[in-house]
Amino acid sequence: MNSIDDLIAIVRDELGLPITDEDAEAGFDQLAGWDSVHLLRLVTVLESTTGRRMSLPAVLEADSLADVYALATQ
Amino acid sequence: MLPTAAKAGLYPLSSGPPASSKAGLSPGADHESDVKGLPVTISTDTPATDLLALHRAGELAVNYPKVPGLLAELDAAGLTRAGHVLARLDPDEVRRHHPGTPVVGVAVTGHGTLSALVPALTAELARHGLLLRPTLGNFGSYLVELSDLDSAIHRADPDVVMCVLDPVMVLEELPLPWNVEDVRRALDEKVALVTGLAARFESARRGHLVVNTLPLPRAVTAQLVDYRSRARVGAAWREANAALLRLADVHQRLVVLDLDPILAEGVPAAEPRLSTYAKAHLSTELLAEMARAVGHLARNLTGQTKKCLVLDLDNTIWGGVLGDDGMDGIEVEDTYRGQAYRAFQRVAKQLSSQGILLAAASKNNPEPVREVLRSHPGMVLREHDFVRVSANWRPKHDNLSELARALNLGVDSFVFVDDSAYECGLIRTALPGVAVVHLDEDPALNVQCLLRDGWFDTREVTDDDRARPARYRDEVVRQDFLQTFDSIQNYLDELGVRVDLAETTERDVPRVSQLTLRTNQFNLTTRRMQPADVRAWADAPDSTVLSIRSADRFGDNGLVGAIFLRRGADGLHVENMLLSCRVFARGIEQACLAAVLGHARDEGDQAVYGSYRPTVKNGIVADFFTRYGFQRAGTAFRHDLRDIDEPPEHVSLTLSFPRSTP
Repeated sequence: MNSIDDLIAIVRDELGLPITDEDAEAGFDQLAGWDSVHLLRLVTVLESTTGRRMSLPAVLEADSLADVYALATQ
Repeated sequence: MLPTAAKAGLYPLSSGPPASSKAGLSPGADHESDVKGLPVTISTDTPATDLLALHRAGELAVNYPKVPGLLAELDAAGLTRAGHVLARLDPDEVRRHHPGTPVVGVAVTGHGTLSALVPALTAELARHGLLLRPTLGNFGSYLVELSDLDSAIHRADPDVVMCVLDPVMVLEELPLPWNVEDVRRALDEKVALVTGLAARFESARRGHLVVNTLPLPRAVTAQLVDYRSRARVGAAWREANAALLRLADVHQRLVVLDLDPILAEGVPAAEPRLSTYAKAHLSTELLAEMARAVGHLARNLTGQTKKCLVLDLDNTIWGGVLGDDGMDGIEVEDTYRGQAYRAFQRVAKQLSSQGILLAAASKNNPEPVREVLRSHPGMVLREHDFVRVSANWRPKHDNLSELARALNLGVDSFVFVDDSAYECGLIRTALPGVAVVHLDEDPALNVQCLLRDGWFDTREVTDDDRARPARYRDEVVRQDFLQTFDSIQNYLDELGVRVDLAETTERDVPRVSQLTLRTNQFNLTTRRMQPADVRAWADAPDSTVLSIRSADRFGDNGLVGAIFLRRGADGLHVENMLLSCRVFARGIEQACLAAVLGHARDEGDQAVYGSYRPTVKNGIVADFFTRYGFQRAGTAFRHDLRDIDEPPEHVSLTLSFPRSTP
């Protein structure tokens, strides 16, 4: 994963959510159809994509995809 | 589409209100903002990319009838991904395009976070062409939701209610410190609770209630340090599970999923991080397996249970190729692989005893097949176990269609099992309703492959079911082989058959020799040759050997045949030609022959002569030469090279033997 655009693509293709590049900074409460189920699935996908384990408590406290991207790439 | 209840919150988050409560959009809103402007290019790469392309283009609802075909070959990870995409679809939108699509309402409630079940169920139902109408209960409310007949779960009037049980519901009842008796007491309470819910459900509700046994976490047994206590807690746990399983005896519409066999195959019971942080106490993989079982229940409820198991024979119920190896050469008993095939036959017989019809569809001559079924000492399955044995050379989908007519069943009630990717692909393409089981190359895995899906799962087996195979039993029907293959032309066009015809090199010699020794059916003269004989033929000044290699979109078939040529004063002689029956009847033989004829004409030959020497097993090629423009000339066949048949268009042939060789 080289940029947040890759994360956006993952959300679109793996979660089926119709989000756009502008949604990266938006809070999850602003994302159409966002649900906690998506966050859990996203962690699974990101861990298998990056091969690295993420801190689930930190992810659960994330407010936006930008936060999640930061956690996945730190 | 996530149900209304989901938006009320799925699980508690320590950091604040559930994220889910922020999602306040109506189902349709997602589609209004769907990604537009992407081209609808359906690639032929993989089913997964096709599905994704449809999703990106917003064309999934319109193309819903294609979805089962796209899901059929996906592995567990692929299905999970597909489930998330498909869960975004509005069932009503699909029904607007395809009003006949059956909808199955499934309510999900139980202990812990179960949201992953919704995409999993969506995918599993879609595999069967069904649409899921989900209702997801609120976190921690299953008792109220199942007891209160006015709850959202009950108001949705689902066909199936899943009440998911997990070990944490027992563990959170334990005092600290705890002992075995505490665990037993907590288990008893939960069993009593489920017993009460099941009774209430049956008296007040239509539909089926699905519960599950409780996985026993190592963290329970390992906290007890003495072996006796460990054994006792294990016994108490199993007694509780046994009590849950026995509920199925007293409640007609209760299904108890036994999770032990699934866990025994290595599916993890839980993922500790998701359990601890997200209260998802059963692993996503395990929930997916439960969804698969519910998918088959839904299939049964909508009257789509499979009734007939159609088995390939060579390398499916026995090892080896009967036409080449002969009755004594096939493996079905004492060898390592033979034992694996025999075990598979026992499973087929067991299924048959419960009313599943067995049929065989094999590319073979009928007589040797009949002989094996009647008199091979190692066979478990016999002629009378099959309602029909189609041993012929017609395309298999023709045999399946004909079988369906004869049995008065739809082909969509068939499960087809074959080791060949080609045959599996053909059936998937030609008869999309048939469930296709593509066997692994290692026969030890065949039983697992067949039983991986509960294709024949049913709520009840009646005496009538058990008597069904006998009613359907039929004579072995002898079919003519080598009929026209027009009906598979479309399939062949997309198969991408590539043939490489080249002079046999030293490296090929052992395999070419092996082909002459083993191939019995497509073997024009059945002249057996040791490697030294092949080498001598290849090196002689007036003769040559050509190796036939083939590949298609399923992969490389390797060196599959050979042609032995000799140049005489009167022209070029095809002294022998052989082709593995794995790749027979795909146009390869025709393309190779056309290439040889073209080569001879280019070289200035007056004619090409062909030899055929009949044996018990090579009747399949008795008319090989006459079919492609040769005239009988004494004991041989002669082609005057004036009018050479065009090679089949679907085959792309590379010819690399130098000019001025035989």
